[in-house]
This record gives sequence, structure tokens and C-alpha cells, in this order.
Amino acid sequence: MQAEVINYIKFGIVSPEESKKLSVAKLNVPDTYNEDGYPIDGGLLDQRLGVIDPGLICKTCGARAKTCPGHFGHIELVRPVIHSEFSKVIYNILQSVCYECHRILIDEKHIQKIKDDVLKGESEQTVVGEAKETVEVQEAKEQEIHKNRASAMQNKKIKTSKKCPYCNAVQPKIRFSQPTYFTVGDRKLKPDEIRDMLSKISFEDLNIIGIEKDISNPSWLILNTLLVPPVNVRPSITLESGERSEDDLTHKLVDIMRINQRLEQNINAGAPQIIIDDLWELLQYHVTAYFNNETSGIPPARHRSGRALKTLAQRLKGKEGRFRYNLSGKRVNYSARTVISVDPYVNIDEVGVPESIAAKLTVPFYVTEWNLERAKELILNKNYPTILNIISKDGKRKRVLDTNRDELIKELSVGDILERQLIDGDIVLFNRQPTLHRISIMAHKVKVLPGKTFRINYCTSSPYNADFDGDEMNLHVPQTLEAQAEARLLMDVKYQVFSPKNGGAIIANGEDGITGMYGLTKDGVSLSRDETEYLLGLAGIYELPEGQKNGTFTGKDIFSKLLPKGISYEQKTSNGVVKIKDGRLIEGTITNDLYGKGNGLFIKIAIEFGYDVLRDFIFQSAKLADAYVTLAGVTVGVKEYEVDQKMDHERTKIITETFERVEKLISQYKSKKLEPLIGYTTRESLERLIITELNVARNKAGEMLVKHEGEGNSAVEMTKAGSRGNVLNLEQMSMFLGQQATLSGGRIKRGYYTNRVLPHISPGDVGPVAHGFITTSYFSGMHPVELFMHAVGSRGSEVYKALLTGRSGYLYRRLSNALQDYYVKNDLSVRDVNNNIIQTLYGGDGISPTESRFAEMEKS
Amino acid sequence: MAEKTNKYIVNYGEPVGMVAAQSLGEPGTQMILRAFHFAGIESTIATSGLPRIVELVDARKKPATPITYVYLTGDAKKSFDKAESIMKKISEVKMVTIIKRSLENFPKGMIKLVADEQALAANNLTPSQVAQKIAKKLNISATVDREKNILIKLKTKNVGEIRAMSVKIMKDVVQGLPDAGKAIIQQDQKTNEFYLISAGSNIRDIIEVDGVDKTRLYTNDVFAMYDLFGIEAARNTLVNELRKTLKEQKIGVDTRHLMLIADAMTYSGFVKGVGRHGLSGQKNSVFAKAAYEETVKHLVNAAAFSEVDNMRGVTENILVGKQIPIGTGSVRLAIKKEDMQKVKARSKKK
Repeated sequence: MQAEVINYIKFGIVSPEESKKLSVAKLNVPDTYNEDGYPIDGGLLDQRLGVIDPGLICKTCGARAKTCPGHFGHIELVRPVIHSEFSKVIYNILQSVCYECHRILIDEKHIQKIKDDVLKGESEQTVVGEAKETVEVQEAKEQEIHKNRASAMQNKKIKTSKKCPYCNAVQPKIRFSQPTYFTVGDRKLKPDEIRDMLSKISFEDLNIIGIEKDISNPSWLILNTLLVPPVNVRPSITLESGERSEDDLTHKLVDIMRINQRLEQNINAGAPQIIIDDLWELLQYHVTAYFNNETSGIPPARHRSGRALKTLAQRLKGKEGRFRYNLSGKRVNYSARTVISVDPYVNIDEVGVPESIAAKLTVPFYVTEWNLERAKELILNKNYPTILNIISKDGKRKRVLDTNRDELIKELSVGDILERQLIDGDIVLFNRQPTLHRISIMAHKVKVLPGKTFRINYCTSSPYNADFDGDEMNLHVPQTLEAQAEARLLMDVKYQVFSPKNGGAIIANGEDGITGMYGLTKDGVSLSRDETEYLLGLAGIYELPEGQKNGTFTGKDIFSKLLPKGISYEQKTSNGVVKIKDGRLIEGTITNDLYGKGNGLFIKIAIEFGYDVLRDFIFQSAKLADAYVTLAGVTVGVKEYEVDQKMDHERTKIITETFERVEKLISQYKSKKLEPLIGYTTRESLERLIITELNVARNKAGEMLVKHEGEGNSAVEMTKAGSRGNVLNLEQMSMFLGQQATLSGGRIKRGYYTNRVLPHISPGDVGPVAHGFITTSYFSGMHPVELFMHAVGSRGSEVYKALLTGRSGYLYRRLSNALQDYYVKNDLSVRDVNNNIIQTLYGGDGISPTESRFAEMEKS
Repeated sequence: MAEKTNKYIVNYGEPVGMVAAQSLGEPGTQMILRAFHFAGIESTIATSGLPRIVELVDARKKPATPITYVYLTGDAKKSFDKAESIMKKISEVKMVTIIKRSLENFPKGMIKLVADEQALAANNLTPSQVAQKIAKKLNISATVDREKNILIKLKTKNVGEIRAMSVKIMKDVVQGLPDAGKAIIQQDQKTNEFYLISAGSNIRDIIEVDGVDKTRLYTNDVFAMYDLFGIEAARNTLVNELRKTLKEQKIGVDTRHLMLIADAMTYSGFVKGVGRHGLSGQKNSVFAKAAYEETVKHLVNAAAFSEVDNMRGVTENILVGKQIPIGTGSVRLAIKKEDMQKVKARSKKK
């Protein structure tokens, strides 16, 4: 549907003739509105430049506010000024040409050499590109020649030659100071002089520098006519008080015109040269500020409130500038945003959409001869789902109201597009910011639900990195059939189960789901028929699995019912081997290793049964797991972390034993008997040995705790299942916190004076407590000194986190900017959009990272 | 088997560059939280985590912590003493590290160097050895006095010259190779083989030392590898280092992504960083550059040198609202001529 395609865009400088051609009005009144509130003719909001007030008519095109595209005007400057943004370019050119004869300051020999270099660049380009299409080769060549020319200008040889090789004139030194001052000796070069010099440079010489004279003639950089942008580029705002507030650009243009007028009056009155020069410089300043108010060397022009004005350069620049804010990122229609919440009964490739949103969003319904009846039916629907708008073939959009339904049906014809409300099964894109991933946007199928939040399955929260503490997400409705097809075939959640980052499953159950699965499939779980029916019923299965002889069912039996028929799989997990044979779990317990993120079972299912089966397995097993945790009642309370006297005794024992050993190391060191580790001094060795000793103590305590608490402790169970927490967490809560590390990984050394951390510690103490070893647990609470040591570590990581989030964001931006043009061509080579080859075979084997683990599994 | 694996080939048009960038960029936010690292001597000296990734991707000329792995040949593999003698040849000892103070006596044109005895002993050096070495190297007279200080007599009495000489002396490398860094001996846990780790990257000189295994010499300094072994080695070093850094943080990223990033940085034959001065700054498209950084500068240059933007890249097409030429945008729908005629014929009938 692209009416016209942009093939290329060529940049250049607007010539004075072109400015005049573009301009519809010469402006000469440095003001905006008259007393009656109408735009002044010849003022900055002249009605010939377009209109912004509703009701007024543009004097150039006759259109009204919203349809008039706006027209340029111009200001005639009585004295020329330099375009400040280009002053460096001007300086480079002035230095490259003779002051007397305006020829380029290189002799014929060197010119030839530059030309040769350019030609050499040409041949290199063709080798690198290996582009087949002749047109592309030609374009590439041209571009390369251009680049080489530009670089020739920066060639230092040109700048330093002091004598013109053609007229033998000795070159005076031209000085340049920011932003627009050029001097030769003590004399200031006035803009008109510079223009004379620039316009005398021959076409050939400019060509060597790399400039095309008829497109970017440098003499056009000295301005006599200043183009004034249309009114709709700088609209004025009417405040509540009825006062008008002008745009920053308008303010600046008023300044320019005022000074211009004053300068003209002074010249006409025959004022002394000094006054004229002063005003001329002031004019130059205003024009400079108009182009870029952050030009170095000038004070930024300010608004009455003291805020610096946003002029042309500021509008384009930076994150909130035109390029990054409006052009690289655009606002869209047909989208919705609200809070998300979990719903285990929404499939992973569905999204629960509130009724109110479904009633507002629309999908185009293309009327054909085959669906004409359905179309009429929809239009006649007074309630949801109905048609909101009808776009007829001529592009006119009509609202469907209760009053005009019958009328509209009569007019309805094939080729019309109806805007239908969102219904179940429509494909939509769902997104959560920050979109760091391509899987932060996935296609879901709509499921209209009561309520006000978007509902998603818990398993799909990880690719979005979402939680449900108030997160909001965005929903977009693809409007063309092509977009809908792409969403269904490429972006559907079921195709995103495996992460393109490493091929591991990213859509998988977690937390409670894992705990539930672990509890269910543990050895010795026996459930009655009633309970089995309840669990499977909730999972959406209404058939009994093969059970035990006595009529009961084990958890494994129930889990096996969900597995695809005939699947065989075996995996070693941290909890022993899990064996699945012929669709039955025969040995082992399901843990995070087998069922959570990055597991191998999903890969097996995807290979053998495809993505639809995998999707249903994930969905049903999640429901089952949730049903089981609810039935079994897993809870964690203070009891889980409270230890009995026996364990408390163990804790003290471990600590005293460890302290004794550390004491021994220290005395060895002091008596110089400590054998240093290879590559370390004795002091460093002591430090390392102590740290090892302290870490051993913590691990030992952890093991002991898990052994002692064992089955029945929900916190330990969760650790075993891999759903939440690890042994270290448990140990720190119940036993003791252990060594607090600094960011560099060592013990805490600095603090009070040089040889101790706190005044509570004796100087020179190298023992555990003196350097941040904590003997108490989170449960029992820390002593003041211990708390301080703990805070040292916390503060460190907090500061580090703050510093590095920014860095990581910038790294991502740079990477994506550098690599975004690379894609796989149909010969499996990686190329950029200019057909340069980056890799001859993607990744060395052409295998997709998303499916890399599929390939591995099939090989074995 | 080839047939089987062929099933899992990348999709044509797949934006692999973007996916690679995302795969490395997304875990960047996670990397921050894990600042701990464990055993291994390298990990205690080497930069790790996000700062290291940034350094690699930026193609910094000198890494913050260069490290060279020097494997040995023959007997030195098994003998600690032989390994130590090679270590002595490599390990860089600067005057600054063994001299506590340098006192300049301007009227006499003398410099008195007070040696740090402990540091000297650690490097098996005596003051007279040091004096001989610097005398020979800098062509000056150096003696040792009774207090074991090194005395240097200069011909000039010019204050500036004495100062300059004093600075020069302190910068001098008395033992080992310049920029090789301090080396230490390590023993491989599996093979019991001795090898060296040095905190520098002067592999150009290290490779010349007898007893060094030239085939296994490796440094984490990408530019040093590029200098000595060429662009392919630089590329492999980049991949290795990126992989190692991510592995330390327990972040699983497919090597193919890292390979693409390394290839993008090196395919031109030079090591180019990602960013303003490297890959992004050297793009052909004016718009792509302007939308990235230094917007005004790029537009001004484009206007002055009549540059052309061919609108082929991703950014340019997004700016003007066209479909991007990648992925599903890289192909077009086509219909066979005869099929088209059939369709036309059918619609005429009605």
C-alpha cells in the first residue's frame, strides 16, 4: 500500500535562489499579533505562512488550520551573516585554498595522488562488497569516492602548505575562534569577504575537497536571506487567561528582525562604522542562537523566566529530540494499557482482556461477497460484539449509531472495511517495557473476561520479566491481514517457549508450580479416586489415569496422564535420575531441573510432538500443580526457620571450632611458620586461608541444617524442589550469616583508622569477627558490630547497582545500534543491508540459537 | 545426521544482529546484582562482569587488567626451578617498586636512591646488581655506598636534566620485560604442569623467551593478540573473553551471538569498537548516524559534502515509515502470470 517509495535522500545546502522560491512572503514587521488579536501582515505569524487558529483561512493555499501544510517565509538580512553550524567547514575550506588566487593549496602531483587514492578505494569496495547487482556496485563506488574525498580534505598535508603552488603567494594565517569569528592577522574577516573568497573557488578544486558545487556551494553558507519556518512548526499557545504565548523559535525570530531593522535604520542614517559593526555582530549572535542555542562561545539566549530557549538544533537533538523521540519511536492507535494480574485458567497463548477494553478496540473486517451476510449481522448487533465504524471505499469513516444502523446496511458494499470490536480468538500483541528482548512482545489470543485487568498465565510472566505487584502492560491490535498472519505464525507465545538467547525454555512454570509438582510426584504420594478426579478435573482432564492395584493413584500416575502419549525421556537432576518411559513417569521426582526454566523435557516434547502439544502440556501441568499445592497446603512460617537447642548447640560448636582453626592459622603466620600458597605472599595466603575456612564453616552449617530439618519443613522442601531459595538462604536465616564480603570479594578492611574497622575492635586484629564474620542469624538478630558489617556489604552492592544500571542500558543501546542491520540471507550468510558479508555461514554452522538444543538432543 | 540438524537452521531474513545485541544486552541488567566471584587467581586481579564486557565491546586499546598466560615447553613444565628462571626473565620489575625514595642533590649533580630491602629480596636482587644494570642501560655511573644506597653521579648540574634523569631511572625496568607485568607461577590442577600468569600483555617480547610454548601463548588483551597473531586471533580472543566473562556470571548466552558480535567488530580487517567511534559511527547512512548520537554534527557534514542516504538500513526506513528490509520485509509476495490471468478472468465473469 505504499504509494510512493523513497529511493534515496540527498543532502545539500539551500541556495539563496531556492530560499526565495520556497518563500511565500517577505517578512518585515518584528511582531506577531495586532491589538485585535489578528496576525499582522508581514509579521511572524503572517497568514500567508499558514494558519493555526481554527476558523482562519490560509492566504496561500486557502486551506484551514488542520489541512494547510504551512508555507515558508523569509527575512532579508541587511548584512550577511555566517551559518554558525558550518563555521568549522568554512574554516577548513579557507585553510585549504590560496588567500590570493583561491586555488587549492596542493600541487598537481598531490592532486593526482588523491585522485589515485580515490580510485583505489573504488576497487577495494568492490572486493569487500561482492555485490552482484551492477546498480548497487555503482552506488557503492560513488559513495566510497565521496568518503575518500571528504577525508582528503582533512589531510594534514593540505593544511600545512604555506605557499601557494600556483601563484607563489605566501599564505597568511587565518585564525578561527568559536563560533563565527575569522581573523587574518589583526583584521576581522567579515562575512561578505568570506563569501567572496568561497565563491571564487573553482568547481574542480571544490571537487577535490569533496564538495559538489551546485548542491552544497559553500558560499551559500553566508546568509543574506533567512528562511522562516511555517507557523505550524512554531505554533503559539493560548493560555487560560487568554494571553498568547509564543514558541521559542518565534521569540528568536523576533529578536533577529528587531536587530535587522535597527541595523538598517543605522545604515540609512549614516551611523558611524563602529555602531554598525556592533549591530552586525549582534545580528550574527541572534542568528547563531537561532540555529543552535548551545553553540559553544555564546551565552544561551534565555526566555523571560530564565529558561534557555529551545532553538532548531535542540529540537532535533538527543533523547527527547525529533529523531529519537518522534521519528525512531512513534505513537500508535489501536492499543490499550492496564494493570496485569495472574489467572491460571488463561492458556499461555491467551490474554484475558477486560470487557471495557474489548468494546473499545477494533479489528478491521474486510467485507467480501462471502461474508456480506455476517457483516450485516454484526452491524445490526446492538450489543457487543458490534461494528463501531464503517470505512467506505472512498476512505470516509462513519460512526455506527443506534439511529443509523439500517441506513448503513443499505449502503454497505463489498470492499468496505468495518471496524469490529475485539472478540475471543483475535490475535493481539502484548508487550511490557523495558522491551529488552524480542520476547518482550508476543502474540496472544484474546479472551474477553470481566474485570479491569489484563490476565496472563503465570508461566508467561518470565519473558516479559513481569510480576503482579502493579505492573502494567500494553496491548496492540494488528490492523492488516499481513500483520495478523505474521503475529500468528511468528510471534505466537507457543513459538517463543525457547529463548533465542540460549535455546533454553523461558516459558515454564515457577515458584508454587514447581513446589506443587515436586510434592505431587514425590515417592509415596497416594491419592484417592476422589482426590485424583478433583486434581485432574481442575487441570481440564476428565479421564482417570492408570492407577494402582488397590484403587488409589500415586502422584506419578496423575502426572503421567498429562504427558504426551509414548514419550520417553531421562534426565539426571540434583534429586536423582528421573525416568519417563512410554508416557509414564516411572522413577524420580519432578524438580526445577526438569520442569522449570531451561529444562530438557520441554525440548523433547517440542521435537517429538510439536508446539501445540507443548503449549497444552505447560498449561495443564501448571493447573495441576496449582491444584495440588492448594490441596496439600504448603506454607512457610516462623516455625520453618526456628531452630531447636540441638541445632543451636551445633551452631556454636561449628563457630568455636572454626575460630580455633583461624586462630591457629594466625599464630602460624605470626611465628612465620605459615607455608605461602603458590603465587601469593604469606599475608595474602593467610587472608585466603581464613576466607576458605570461614566459607567451609558456613557450608557445613548449611548441610547440617538441611539434614536436621529434613522432610516436613516446607522451606527445605522448596529448596529441594528448586522452586525458591537455596541452602545458603536457609542457613543464613536459621544458623549464622557468615562472612560479609566487600565488592572486591575480600573481607572488610577499611574503616576506623587504618588497622581496624571499628573502635570496638582491637588494633591489628585479623580474626573473623574483626573483619565482618557474623555469628548470628537473621532469625536471632545481629549484634551492633555485626549489623554494621552487614550494612557495609549492603551499601556496597546498592551503590554498585545504581552505577551499573545506566552502563548496561547504554551498552545495549550501542550494541543494538551497531548490529541492527545484520540479517541472514538465503545462502545462510550474515550480511548488512549494504550487502557486506559479516559471516559466511551464520554461527559457523547455520543453526538457530533458539533451536540449538534441539539439534544437540537429536544428535545424542 | 546432517539431514537431522538441517531442520534447525536459522530462518532466512532472521535479524540475527538484533537478536545478538538483545542476548548480550538483556542479561546486562542481571549481571549487576552478582558482584561476587570465587576462587582462582585470575578472578582476583581481572576485571569481570559488566565493566569487562563494556571494555571488550568498546575495543579499548588497553584493557584495565591485561593478563597473559605463558605455558612452557620441555622440562620447565615439570620443574618449578626452571619455571622460576623463565619467570624471572619475564616478570617485570620496575625501579619504582624496589626504590623507596630518590633524593636529588642538585649542586653536586647526584641522585641517591634508597632501596627497599624487602622488595629487593623478593626479586632476588642486590643493590650492586641494580646499580650495574642501570649504569649499563642508561650509560651513567652508579655506585653503592655503605648504607646500601645507590649513588648516581651525573655530568650535568642542570636542575631540569637531573630531574628528567631521576624520573627516567624510576621508570626503568631492571628485570624482566617491559609491560610484561608481574608474573607468578601457577600449577595446573589436572596435569600438574607449571605455567605463568603475568599481569601485562607484552606477548611480542614474551614469545621470544626460550622455554615459552609459542603455540599456547594467550592474553586477554585483544589488541595485543591482533598485533602479534592477526585479525582472526583477535576475533577468537574476543569470543573467548566474552564467553569467559559471561560464564563467570553464570549467564548462558549462545556462542553464536558472541561470534556475530566479534565478527561484526573484526570483519573489516581491523578491530572496531561498537559505538560512536566504531561500527555505529562509520555507517553509510546519514539518518542512522543522526538518530544514534551527535545528530547535528552528522546532518551538517551531510549537507556540506552532499552526502546521499540510500535508505537501505533499518533506522532510515523506520524514520520515514517504510517497512524495514529485514525479516519478513526482505521478501515480497509474488503471483505467477498465468495465475494472475485466471484471477482476472474470474472477476470479469462476475
